[in-house]
Amino acid sequence: MSASVARRQKVNFLPDINKPEKRSPAHERTSPRPRSRIQNKKKENEPKSTGIIQTPTISKDEVAMFRSSVWKNTCVELLRGGFHRSFSELSSLLRHWKEVREAAGPGSVIWQQISLEEQPTKLHTLQHYLTRAETAQRAGVWSEVYDNQLCLAQYFRDTDDMWLSSHFYQASLASAQRVKMDGGRKEAEASSNMGRVYMEEGQLDSAREIYERFYKLTAGQSWRDDGGVCLHTQACQSLCGVYTQLANLLLQADDHRPAIQTLNKAFQRAKEAGDRRVEGEVAYRLGLAYQCVGDQVTAKCFLNMYLEISTLLGDADRLGKAYKAIAKSLECEGKLNETLQYLEKFAEVSQSNNQHHHLEEACMCLGVIFTSRGQYDRGCAYFERAYEIARDLDEVPLVQRAQVCVGSAKAHSLIRKFSHHIETASHSNLRLLTAWKDRREDVFSDTTSQNTSTQQTCETSQNSSTQQTCETSQNSSTQQTCETSQNSSTQQTCETSQNSSTQQTCETSQNSSTQQTCETSQNTSTQQTCETSQNSSTQQT
Amino acid sequence: MNSVSKSKVSSLKSTLHTLANPKGVKKQCELCHKPAYLQCTKCRVTFYCDTDHQQADWVGIHEKVCQLLIPIRTTMPFHSLQADRDHHCAQIQHRQELIEISRAVAQKKLFEGKYQESLPAAKLSLRCAMDVYGPSAVQLVPAYLLLAEANVGLGSLAQAEEYMSQAEWTVMKTPNCSHTVLHQLHRNLGRLYTATENLEGALLHFANDVYYASDAYGMNNIVTCGGYFLMANVFIKQGKMDIASSLYNEVARTWHSHLTTLLKTHTEGSRTLEQSFDEAQQEEADQMLRAMLEIQESSPKQDKTQNALVTHCLAMLWFLCGSPEKALEFGRKALQSIQLVPDHNLTEPIQSLMQLAAETAQHHTNQAEPCPSNNLPPSQLNTKVES
Repeated sequence: MSASVARRQKVNFLPDINKPEKRSPAHERTSPRPRSRIQNKKKENEPKSTGIIQTPTISKDEVAMFRSSVWKNTCVELLRGGFHRSFSELSSLLRHWKEVREAAGPGSVIWQQISLEEQPTKLHTLQHYLTRAETAQRAGVWSEVYDNQLCLAQYFRDTDDMWLSSHFYQASLASAQRVKMDGGRKEAEASSNMGRVYMEEGQLDSAREIYERFYKLTAGQSWRDDGGVCLHTQACQSLCGVYTQLANLLLQADDHRPAIQTLNKAFQRAKEAGDRRVEGEVAYRLGLAYQCVGDQVTAKCFLNMYLEISTLLGDADRLGKAYKAIAKSLECEGKLNETLQYLEKFAEVSQSNNQHHHLEEACMCLGVIFTSRGQYDRGCAYFERAYEIARDLDEVPLVQRAQVCVGSAKAHSLIRKFSHHIETASHSNLRLLTAWKDRREDVFSDTTSQNTSTQQTCETSQNSSTQQTCETSQNSSTQQTCETSQNSSTQQTCETSQNSSTQQTCETSQNSSTQQTCETSQNTSTQQTCETSQNSSTQQT
Repeated sequence: MNSVSKSKVSSLKSTLHTLANPKGVKKQCELCHKPAYLQCTKCRVTFYCDTDHQQADWVGIHEKVCQLLIPIRTTMPFHSLQADRDHHCAQIQHRQELIEISRAVAQKKLFEGKYQESLPAAKLSLRCAMDVYGPSAVQLVPAYLLLAEANVGLGSLAQAEEYMSQAEWTVMKTPNCSHTVLHQLHRNLGRLYTATENLEGALLHFANDVYYASDAYGMNNIVTCGGYFLMANVFIKQGKMDIASSLYNEVARTWHSHLTTLLKTHTEGSRTLEQSFDEAQQEEADQMLRAMLEIQESSPKQDKTQNALVTHCLAMLWFLCGSPEKALEFGRKALQSIQLVPDHNLTEPIQSLMQLAAETAQHHTNQAEPCPSNNLPPSQLNTKVES
């Protein structure tokens, strides 16, 4: 600080009139080669280069630094070096940004962003790399141009300016295509980058095109990137990813055939990439797609493949998924025994890995299958197990669904005996009925062996629907049960429709059957029941 | 040509007797502001100190504006009627037009390289602008710049610098100066610095010039690429041929696209040429393109595509300027160089242009023949009257 002050003291405020270099303006005009201020400029710069500040005069550059904006200075700096391409690129980028911003209008996200003009660091980076790229371009060294553009793209990727990053990736692709000597390696890299950008932007078709090009370029080459990953494998994986996403879109639009075609392509690439996990995933999707079409044989083929891969990888989650999907296929084919086998495996796997959700799902499926086959007791047992798991998980929709299922299964198991008693209508039967009503248990007393166990379950599930209905309606308990089960089950179906589709179908099929049985039972027996019970009660009184 | 105009001028002068002037009125020479002894007999409002100055002014600008000066320079009587005052206002408007006319003339002469001849026009433009806008308005800047440019061309750099300083000072005093003016200022400063061999300074100014021009006219405009051309010349002086050739490429590309669109509108007949392409621009284009062609041909490694592009530009330019013979000549050249380049899409436009030019040339020769026959009827009429 003091040094600078001391230095400044040496400087005269006014120029020395006796100095020989300085001439009067009149002299200047008359001299044959006038020393104008234009030529003096170099002189002004000289003292600075020696490091000693002798005059307080400042150069035009310094004036410009203070007087004009960073943007203008950057542009002028670029143009001074003759970098007209960089300049035009920079201004067109800015103009494009402004146009997009104007189009978006106030209130949009882009409206809040800071303009490139007001970010000196970014501008300097741009200037640095653009000039280097253009110098290389002049010399015709396209690989260097590519490198610089790639640097810029990565820089803007890090600073989260995606549009700039995307622009420079595009530019780098264009320059990489002009690199002749490396057999297309740079182009492959650039395509890979560009593909990634497209994927991020969600332009799947463009991404697919560029990745296909990437794939072709890397075919038969053993290039590896900095991390040692083979580029061809990368290409296969990326292509596989794109195809899978495309297929997902198609599946959502219910275009199953084209979806299967794309998935097949994805499967080929996954195989080529040699990544078992991805291969398995694609096989699973393919299996599901074939299931949707109804081709269960092919579906099972792919699902078995998935099963194998999952067992190899030891991935319990996937293993469960595989069992479940296969079971579904088998069920559609009508092979119920095999379905049961697979579902039990599913349950086993889930239980051994503490995957309660899956276990619950498996139990529900098993229950549904058993009830649909008329084995209400076994079905009921599975439903109850599902109910317990759901209760432990503390998830209300699952609990409710399990409740309804338990209720309907129990109702189904009872209704045959109940109607048998009604139909025979002997004295002992009626007494059994009234005794059953008094006890309010869900099992007739003649089946004493099952009595205790079911009673326990009833006690544990206090808000179980059957018990409630028994309590509330003495006269027409079955009717009530049926009705409530109908109501609640229809409600449930609405709720569960958002859940997995497999269950939904099971549910609805089961639903319809229960409805039918309930209705028939209503028609045939309930009236009788009411009458008889009234009769009996009056007799008793 | 010169002798003809000289004789014409000498017939237009009449001696002025200074003593016969009304009191307080000093007649000054149009060019040097010394006491005048001669008067232009055609308009009677311009005065000169000697025949040389009258001659110079006549060639420079007076021939075009002689009659226009009359209503402006004659003193207006006091107007009592609104209509008269309106008329006077209209005259002021007229003066603004005069600024434009003289500016355009000066510009064109500058492009043609006739610096001495452009001086009177530029001076008239400055004078009119001063009369209209006052002595320190930003509107004077173009006139200052013209004068400076002419002086740079003549080699009187000190004079040029003086004008430039005036212009710079005026601009600096105007806070929100339009970018068009700034661009012109920097371009001329760049020219001046180039003339004084301060190449770095010249580059700085040209850079500013391109920046402002691209802001005012757009990136791919011919005005902007004028700056690039000048810049390239500086780089050639510095020996940086790669930068220069890259800049030349840009210039050629811009002109090519501009001329192509011009040609298209011209052949479609939607716009006349005068509206879109004034003489100054034509002159500028011709000069730039020819300079580029020369440099390319003299350089060791010739870029044939580039060469073809420039010659095609020249062909289009000459076709638009109305000389199909020259257009044909350049077209042939362009075709020769384009055939050496494999798979280029330029061949077709060149051929179609040559066809057009050939047709027009045919048309011209056809017109030349019936011309005398067209002239016959009036002469016949005359003879009839005489008989």
